[in-house]
Amino acid sequence: MAHKNDPDKPERVNVSRRSFLKTAGVSSLAATVASVTEAPLAEAQAGPAVVGPGEVPVQLMVNGKRLDLRIEPRVTLLNALRNRADLTGNKRVCDRGQCGACTMIIDGRTAYSCSTLAIEVQGKQIRTVDGLSDGATLHPVQQAFYDHDSLMCGFCTPGFIMATVALVEKHPNATAEQVRKGLDGNICRCGTFTRIFEAATSLKGVARG
Amino acid sequence: MSTRVKRFDGPDKVTGRAKYTFDINRPGMIWGKIVRSPHPHARVVSVDLSEAQRAPGVKAALAWKDPGARALYQGDPVAAVAADTEERANDAARLVKVTYEQLPHVASEAQAMAADAPKVFEDVVMGAKGNTKAGNTDQQGDLEAGFKEAAHIVEQTYATHVITHVCLETHGCVCEWDGDKLTAWVSTQGVHGTKDGFAQGLKIPASNVRVITQYMGGGFGSKFGPDAQGLICARLAQQAKLPVKLMLDRKEEHLDTGNRPSAFAKIRAGVSADGKLTAFDAESWGTGGAGAGAQFPLPYIYQFPNRRRAHTDVYINAGQQRAMRAPGHPQGCFLTEILMDELADRVRMDPVAFRIKNLPEGAPNRRWADYFTAAAKSFGWDKRHPTGDPKPGPIKTGFGCSAHQWGGGGRGGRAHVDIANDGSVVTKCGTQDLGTGTRTVVAVVTAETLGLPANQIKPEIGDTMYPVCGASGGSTTAASITPAIRIAAGKALDQLFSKAAPQLGVTPDMLMAEAGRIHVKGNTAKGMTWKDACKLIGTEPISVDAEWEDGLSSTGTSGVQFTEVDVDIETGIVKVKRILTAQDCGLVVDRLTAESQIYGGIIGSLNFALFEDRILDRVTGQMVNPNMEFYMLAGMSDVPKIDIMIMDTPEQRARGVIGIGEPPTVSTASAIANAVRNATGVTIRSLPLHPHRILAAIEQQKAGGTL
Repeated sequence: MAHKNDPDKPERVNVSRRSFLKTAGVSSLAATVASVTEAPLAEAQAGPAVVGPGEVPVQLMVNGKRLDLRIEPRVTLLNALRNRADLTGNKRVCDRGQCGACTMIIDGRTAYSCSTLAIEVQGKQIRTVDGLSDGATLHPVQQAFYDHDSLMCGFCTPGFIMATVALVEKHPNATAEQVRKGLDGNICRCGTFTRIFEAATSLKGVARG
Repeated sequence: MSTRVKRFDGPDKVTGRAKYTFDINRPGMIWGKIVRSPHPHARVVSVDLSEAQRAPGVKAALAWKDPGARALYQGDPVAAVAADTEERANDAARLVKVTYEQLPHVASEAQAMAADAPKVFEDVVMGAKGNTKAGNTDQQGDLEAGFKEAAHIVEQTYATHVITHVCLETHGCVCEWDGDKLTAWVSTQGVHGTKDGFAQGLKIPASNVRVITQYMGGGFGSKFGPDAQGLICARLAQQAKLPVKLMLDRKEEHLDTGNRPSAFAKIRAGVSADGKLTAFDAESWGTGGAGAGAQFPLPYIYQFPNRRRAHTDVYINAGQQRAMRAPGHPQGCFLTEILMDELADRVRMDPVAFRIKNLPEGAPNRRWADYFTAAAKSFGWDKRHPTGDPKPGPIKTGFGCSAHQWGGGGRGGRAHVDIANDGSVVTKCGTQDLGTGTRTVVAVVTAETLGLPANQIKPEIGDTMYPVCGASGGSTTAASITPAIRIAAGKALDQLFSKAAPQLGVTPDMLMAEAGRIHVKGNTAKGMTWKDACKLIGTEPISVDAEWEDGLSSTGTSGVQFTEVDVDIETGIVKVKRILTAQDCGLVVDRLTAESQIYGGIIGSLNFALFEDRILDRVTGQMVNPNMEFYMLAGMSDVPKIDIMIMDTPEQRARGVIGIGEPPTVSTASAIANAVRNATGVTIRSLPLHPHRILAAIEQQKAGGTL
């Protein structure tokens, strides 16, 4: 039930006033609605092109491959990949950034993709569970989850795996405490925590992805 | 059998390749969305779909409730739409104009039971009228004499709260019609039952329906049929002539897909000076929402020779309850186990010794006395201090224990085994894997019978094309399917023996299958490899159907749990430090997945004790926390060390397969609550053990009262 934001790396909001106007509408779902009506005014004053509300081209780099989609600006990264690209590995569970089932790694940091707009992460490197294994060879984190029976229904598993991947890439020899804190942003309902803990603490020296 | 076999679908689940219902994307598929009552009680005056139907991308719209019908709870389905994108379906749903006449509602048991309460049911609906339904009164012995024998009497009210299932994959389905034939991918615990549910709900022949559930993201007792959303989805698909996906969102999931009913009991109980229970008299009640019962066993396990219990179901304007992991038992267990610790203190007995003294006579499904003794030793129970941690400072430590039981066992089922001439083996079974490891169990039992490694078996489940099996509920799946698989595989092997025997110059009854070979009993050299034996099969595979038979499975499990907690009496925060369980489940099929089930049950019960709570606003009747932020669940840091003692003694192994999904989730909450009592010296007779409730109980005790 802790926030997954890494205190070591505060999120930088490094935008000018002008670009803030341009991106204000995509910083949250509620704000997007407002931007539909307010954007033309902002454009008249500041000049940026209106994006949406209809479908617009969005280009994403997912698991090293370019994806060209036409989606409404309000579409989340999770929905864009699940509904438009059939990348259904990461799951939608709470849809509010509370459970972690949708956890992806964006430019090396974990993110709740249900609460991230696809249009916001253009030009960034997005990693999902779908791209983690190398053909038939499982990623060491996937192998550890499989070996330790760290999954039951499996619906939280993709999010937990991505969170664990991010954790071990940052802390290749994570301590028990780092594992607990690193995975506190994810919820499992079947009760696999004990097994996930076993898997995550068994990983030593996993290479950066 | 009984070894550690890795989960069959592990690789598919860890890679994201496993396609759950939520992941099914069909060509041309559109999205459905249900419009639900925002009011806890209202009459639908009109449903106007016209604006929604004109909205961009909308392909279908329907009214689910007719004008005049009542919505009985917040989230009761009223209408539905389908559109070409999910976003447009959500937009269109907001354009459906429903006018309601709001009606007075009741949002708590107390409100519903008040003399002048508004009625949930004005007329007889689903056998219910008004707000209460009195059940039978159970009575045994002579209550008056029992209380006369008592040296001490405890009279208190105990309660547990409503929680929801919170399946991570919400309820829902994808429906696709081909003429008059429906294929439905459904997140369900029972493919065959859901097929029948579609047939009845849509008034079409069952043979026209196929239900598929390859993977499902949790059910816990809440997913047994198509439900309203299934029938709505099928009708939207029919209207649009396109496949429709309709998965509920998290709020809908909390409101309309079941919950564990509340339980209350005003109990008067007596104990003799030497610690024998003498009498138990209880008035109990609980709510399962608008029209569903709230039954639970009471008293639980312990023997009160003289007892009476009268129960009343209470209806409120909230979504109906559904079976939830060991339905009734966590409630009955909590109500009884807290009382037991209070009674033990009255007679100054150790809680374990007191429990052992009052258990029913031992039997293979009633081994609590043995388990209490073994687990207490392993746990270090002798280090328990009497009620109330005497050590100074705000952190108080306590131990607690409790016992539980569950039925499980087989309910019948069918299986089909194919052995082909290339040596491949396919076992087909119309069961489903909730995450319990059913697919693995199918493979393990087939493999054990055929003397092959489990990974050489292809288990095929989760489809109504496969032989009929029951729904996965009541911890019955393993015990229902394994006998059928064992028999089918055994018969298939006999056929293979009859092909191999002439080659080896023996009779079929002299052969056995072991370690990937067919050989003569007592002479491993005289034989052939599995592959060579299968080459004798010919073009037609060996193909055998079989049905469940009695004798390979049993019913009834027993278990005990111990916990140690720290309670911060300044903040009210409970930290569970460790949990130990001693649990039997007959013959263990796969030790690895059986342990995972036990861990899972215990963590579920820890959630019940410490975190979960469905909060209905008493004034508006609205659920305050229909999400996963304020509806709390444990995270990694909340989960303690858990030790498991699987009691697979020769006696238990001989009983055959029983089932383990539910028993471990019954009693953890009670053991935690008793540990909190032991730590603080304060008895909290209701759940959840949220910090503010613990602080309030401590304050009330100081003031001389109780919660």
